[in-house]
Amino acid sequence: MSDNISKVFNWVNHRLPIQNTYERHLSKHPVPKKVNFWYLFGALAAVVLIIQIVSGIWLIMLYTPGEQAFASIEYMMRDVDYGWAIRYMHTTGASMFFAVVYLHMFRGLLYGSYQKPKELVWIFGCTIYLAMMAEGFLGYVLPYGQMSYWGAQVIISLFGALPYIGESLELWIRGDYYISGITVNRFFALHVVALPLVLIALVFLHLIALHEVGAGNPEGVDIEAHTDEDGVPLDSVPFFPYKVLNALVGIGVFMTVFAIIMFFFPEGGGYFIEYANYEEANPLVTPDHIAPVWYYSPYYSILRAVPDKLGGFAAMGAAVAIFFVVPWLDRSKVASIRYKGILSKIALVLFGISFLTLGYLGTVSVTEHRKTMGVICTFIYFSYFLLMPIYTSIEKTKPVPDRL
Amino acid sequence: MISLQKLSTDLLWIKGFFIILFSFLYFNLEAAEGAPCKDYGECDEFKHTLNDMSSLQSGASTFLTYCYGCHSLEYSRWNRVAKDLDIPEEIFFDNLVFDPSVKPGDLMAGSMSKIESAEWFGVAPPDLTLVTRLHGSDWVYTYLRTFYEDSSKQYGVNNLVYPGAAMPNVLASLQGNQQLTCKEVPIIAKNGGEKRDDFGNTITKQKCGFLTVEDGTGSLNEEEFDALIYDLTNFLTYVGDPDKVERERIGWYVVFFFIIFTTLSSLLYREYQKDYH
Repeated sequence: MSDNISKVFNWVNHRLPIQNTYERHLSKHPVPKKVNFWYLFGALAAVVLIIQIVSGIWLIMLYTPGEQAFASIEYMMRDVDYGWAIRYMHTTGASMFFAVVYLHMFRGLLYGSYQKPKELVWIFGCTIYLAMMAEGFLGYVLPYGQMSYWGAQVIISLFGALPYIGESLELWIRGDYYISGITVNRFFALHVVALPLVLIALVFLHLIALHEVGAGNPEGVDIEAHTDEDGVPLDSVPFFPYKVLNALVGIGVFMTVFAIIMFFFPEGGGYFIEYANYEEANPLVTPDHIAPVWYYSPYYSILRAVPDKLGGFAAMGAAVAIFFVVPWLDRSKVASIRYKGILSKIALVLFGISFLTLGYLGTVSVTEHRKTMGVICTFIYFSYFLLMPIYTSIEKTKPVPDRL
Repeated sequence: MISLQKLSTDLLWIKGFFIILFSFLYFNLEAAEGAPCKDYGECDEFKHTLNDMSSLQSGASTFLTYCYGCHSLEYSRWNRVAKDLDIPEEIFFDNLVFDPSVKPGDLMAGSMSKIESAEWFGVAPPDLTLVTRLHGSDWVYTYLRTFYEDSSKQYGVNNLVYPGAAMPNVLASLQGNQQLTCKEVPIIAKNGGEKRDDFGNTITKQKCGFLTVEDGTGSLNEEEFDALIYDLTNFLTYVGDPDKVERERIGWYVVFFFIIFTTLSSLLYREYQKDYH
């Protein structure tokens, strides 16, 4: 019997590289043996992606795009057995996706995960983030509540600020003279087919590129420099089972947090599901206070910090785009913050603070005082990147150890 | 393992990070939006009791008797409410459903045409299925108790929580005539005590905005009326999130499962770590 199974396996394996792929990417794939919790968020992002895809498939079965969108959400929340579980899984997943990706990106800045030869891994990652922002925005419009409507109104009108093509571009995006069921229909198509395909392809490229150059570590040590006679790095362990088990612990903690939010605080205090979105979209009534979901709020603050509409749009775009060139802005000889100089440390701390402050400011209404703060934080945000070539090259770094 | 010295410098950075962060955020804390319950100020706190069937049943009865004439619960179904509130369908339909054409599985779509009511009232009375999720239960509980007489308004009443609300005080026969009144209140000195004049009499000032019910004008006293509104708000909280109790019950099992999962996987990970430490 087992002989037959191995015959079948061999037959397939000669035609499809199952064993080879398994060994290359799992059982023999070397990963650094000493990493910290910051290195878990990539795996967690993959877990959330799977949660989003699976819960998303079930949501499509229950959701009706177009003008009935709002009613169809309430239908699945009330009349469908465990419909609420599927929907809250997806809404919680959306916020958690951004939370882990932000932490994953911060890890990159902390330990120089973009430095040579990982530039492409970083760029694919930035593109994933960009695709996620689009995916999240489109998904937020689908329940067709007040905040869906007016959030979409704000974002789409930004395209209207572009010179010459602005107005026609707005019309082209909406598919109508104002946001309507037709807009929801097309956003639905993009949200469930187009962007998930792009996201999955990008995640695939992100991982293939990562496995080509090898994962980093908090010390910034090049583990490839010391290998045994088979070419396996001495400071590495195989991905399976060591890294998988490590990730499993992280996934356990993460899923506990996820479940607490999903079952007990699905609205996240109005940050994960905004209260205003419990009212059906109404083009005739503007809500008192339009605020984006928390994961866009830093960029919304940057948008508001610039008085000119087109300028604000450009600043917001630049704030995301600037991540792409980080590998070439960092001139440091070392990767990890542990061996970088005091200037890099101060810069990263200020950047983190300005990002979180911008995030807070984006969720509250504007006052003179907050406006000033928004401008200051926007200034710090961009300075972190634009001054990077200077402070990383003039500061004194510590010597990096040879081994992990 | 991370050395202790490294850990303490890391902690220093983290501490510095949070100190600056909080000072940044603190700098921006200010109330720019105004109080959540408008002229009333902070809303009265409402604590739901979704397991209290008699409260929910009495709330449902109040809603269907006083509110359903104008307001729908269009995403909720009749038999679902009867089932969740432990009311036998026969009793429910005989006593609380006033439209004989209603079938048990129908949505509670309201008894007034939206187009006509918009003509009559200027605006169609909103659907209330999600009102507690939109405004919060605190808001609803406060709103329903803060109508006061105001002859300048179309229906002779105004509301502290929702100034200019286009809704008559439907529950006035129960609550009585509520008015905005002024009172003499003691002036509080800087040391926290009441200010007194040379003869030891308390110095007072006039303060307005108090809600007072004219005695004997309503069929319920203040306590009974508050209890009625409590039940009504409790019912609307249930309608807004009918699976809340069930969701939280399942939630405990799921969280418990993941705690066990985390414990076992970390034990297993520790065992495997011995291979290379």
